[in-house]
Amino acid sequence: MTEKKKRVRTYKDTDEKITAKSLIKPFLFSLPFMVGLIIFTVYPFIKAVLLSFMENYRFLSGKFTGYGLGNYQAIIADPNFINALKSTTKYVLIVVPISMALSLLIAVGLNSVKKLQGLFQTVYFLPLVTSSTAIGMIFRWLYDYDYGLFNYFIGLFGIDRIHWLADVRFTMASICIYGIWSMLPFTIILLLAGLQNIDPVYYTAARADGAKSRDIFFNITIPLLMPTIILTSIVNMMSAFKVYDSLFVLYGGKPGPAFNLYTVIYYLYDMFWNKNKLGNAAASAMVLFVIIAVFTLLQNLISKKTNYYK
Amino acid sequence: MKVTIKNLTKKFASRDKNGEPVIAVNNLTAEFESGKLIALLGPSGCGKSTMLNMLSGILPVTSGKIYFDDTDVTDLTPDKREVGLVFQNYALYPHMTVLQNICFPLKIKKVPKDERIARAKKIARMVHIDEYLNRLPKELSGGQQQRVAIARALVKNPKLLLLDEPLSNLDAKLRLEMREEIRRIQRESGVTTVFVTHDQEEATSISDYIVLMKLGVMQQFSATRDIYNNPANLFVADFIGNPTINQLHGEYTSSGFKPDGTDEIIPIKADVAEGTRTILAARAESVTFNKGENGISAKVNDMYSSGKDWLLNIDIGNNNLRGYCDADYELIPEEIIKVQFKDKGVFLFDEKSGERYC
Repeated sequence: MTEKKKRVRTYKDTDEKITAKSLIKPFLFSLPFMVGLIIFTVYPFIKAVLLSFMENYRFLSGKFTGYGLGNYQAIIADPNFINALKSTTKYVLIVVPISMALSLLIAVGLNSVKKLQGLFQTVYFLPLVTSSTAIGMIFRWLYDYDYGLFNYFIGLFGIDRIHWLADVRFTMASICIYGIWSMLPFTIILLLAGLQNIDPVYYTAARADGAKSRDIFFNITIPLLMPTIILTSIVNMMSAFKVYDSLFVLYGGKPGPAFNLYTVIYYLYDMFWNKNKLGNAAASAMVLFVIIAVFTLLQNLISKKTNYYK
Repeated sequence: MKVTIKNLTKKFASRDKNGEPVIAVNNLTAEFESGKLIALLGPSGCGKSTMLNMLSGILPVTSGKIYFDDTDVTDLTPDKREVGLVFQNYALYPHMTVLQNICFPLKIKKVPKDERIARAKKIARMVHIDEYLNRLPKELSGGQQQRVAIARALVKNPKLLLLDEPLSNLDAKLRLEMREEIRRIQRESGVTTVFVTHDQEEATSISDYIVLMKLGVMQQFSATRDIYNNPANLFVADFIGNPTINQLHGEYTSSGFKPDGTDEIIPIKADVAEGTRTILAARAESVTFNKGENGISAKVNDMYSSGKDWLLNIDIGNNNLRGYCDADYELIPEEIIKVQFKDKGVFLFDEKSGERYC
């Protein structure tokens, strides 16, 4: 005779059974947040997925001719979209590694500075708390042809002035400088937290073995910081793929002086707002979603490999 | 390699509750023979770890000198001193395998790859960790991590091996095993070794010499056997030995020691003025009991087991003490019996200063 064992589910680390009644309270507590999440994130997401497959969708009437891949075919055939993908990828590949390297230098430096740490923490946090419109205004002045600080600076090295915002050759550079700068604070904060998690005894041990600062940086600091570096790179990559607001503030709503900085999100906005092609906009959002999802999965895989402690 | 320490002092910038600078190590002088295992022993806050860190070069000294053989190393950095360090929590690099960990000091020294792997494997065999070369530290037990840490310290052929509380992170059973392993590894490698511990049993069981410290001051530096049989002062006698040495408070008289609360005298000869307040300290194995007429009267309280031995708890006047008795001793509480003291393991100290009289 076999006795059927009834599996009783309990809360983690307790003997308390999970029952419908015991779930009421936690459910109520999470309800306000869940409502917001469902209305503003889950519902629009599902709607966008559906929308991307609706052919000939009419915004006002809500009518469409049927489900299909038409929108995807349309955007892939659209040179604007391919350009947008190209320039967005280029932007990501420039901004993310450079801002990571700069942040790493600054974070390691800040970590070894003991005095005035509070002041530095405020200073490098500024980009994160200042409104992007204000920053945009300031950057437009920095990039100014006649009075801008950037032109003054390169003038010191005898380089001719540059039309940072108007010259097509320099638009990518201008937007990247801005992007790198605005990425620094968040990256530095995370890297600093990661650095402070490294037990100083490893440094002492390495020094006792005769390791110089350079050896320690490459053999100990970097590998032990790897989980944080990967995490931050991925987060930065996601936000870089969504580049849009910096274009808006620097070029006053245009994607570059000659429409040459067409990014994926700008394409989405353009399709949605100017051209009223909601299906195409949704399809481009889905493409971006898949790209970002791939990177997230990649990050999950790598971060499991770099967990040295558990 | 011989280690000579001369008038070594370490003052810290921090101040104690009286506003005096903290003196972690105070004017310490000692000489460690080559190839020996030396224990730095003392209660927490005695300066033993500070001593170790000054020997390794991690901490600069305030004054005094350290010589390795005849070389003055006082101002040299750790890597120039050629010392091997084993940290209390081992400090194994978590992202490197056992082999990479052991190789690291050689990698820093730019030893060719083949040679460093060969040397690391040789050391790994010696510390019995060669089966785990490709594991990460997180996949090892505490004892195995300890072995890797020792291997990493030994691989560069240090002149001096320093271990900071090497056994404190291990459970009781592993501790016994590892301390014998440390002894074996030290014998096999022949390297002069200094280790820090707060556990007197650990120190006495494996070391050749013990430096016993208290509040930065060296209390005694002698061969391990001598420190038990011949303590320099009351602190040493009290700190070394398990069970703790018995202490009888009383007065020195012309005919011997008179414990408080009784008129009987324990015969003992010392060069002390009559009437001096003294403490008679006696090891448990130096106290003998008889139900006859010889010795000083004592009242029996209880008896209890400490493993294979049995201890009898008795009162002499106002003093309580314990001594070994036979397992078949017939216990009668409140019984008055006679107690005698052997010559060996019985000392007389000044009650106030702890200075030893005999």
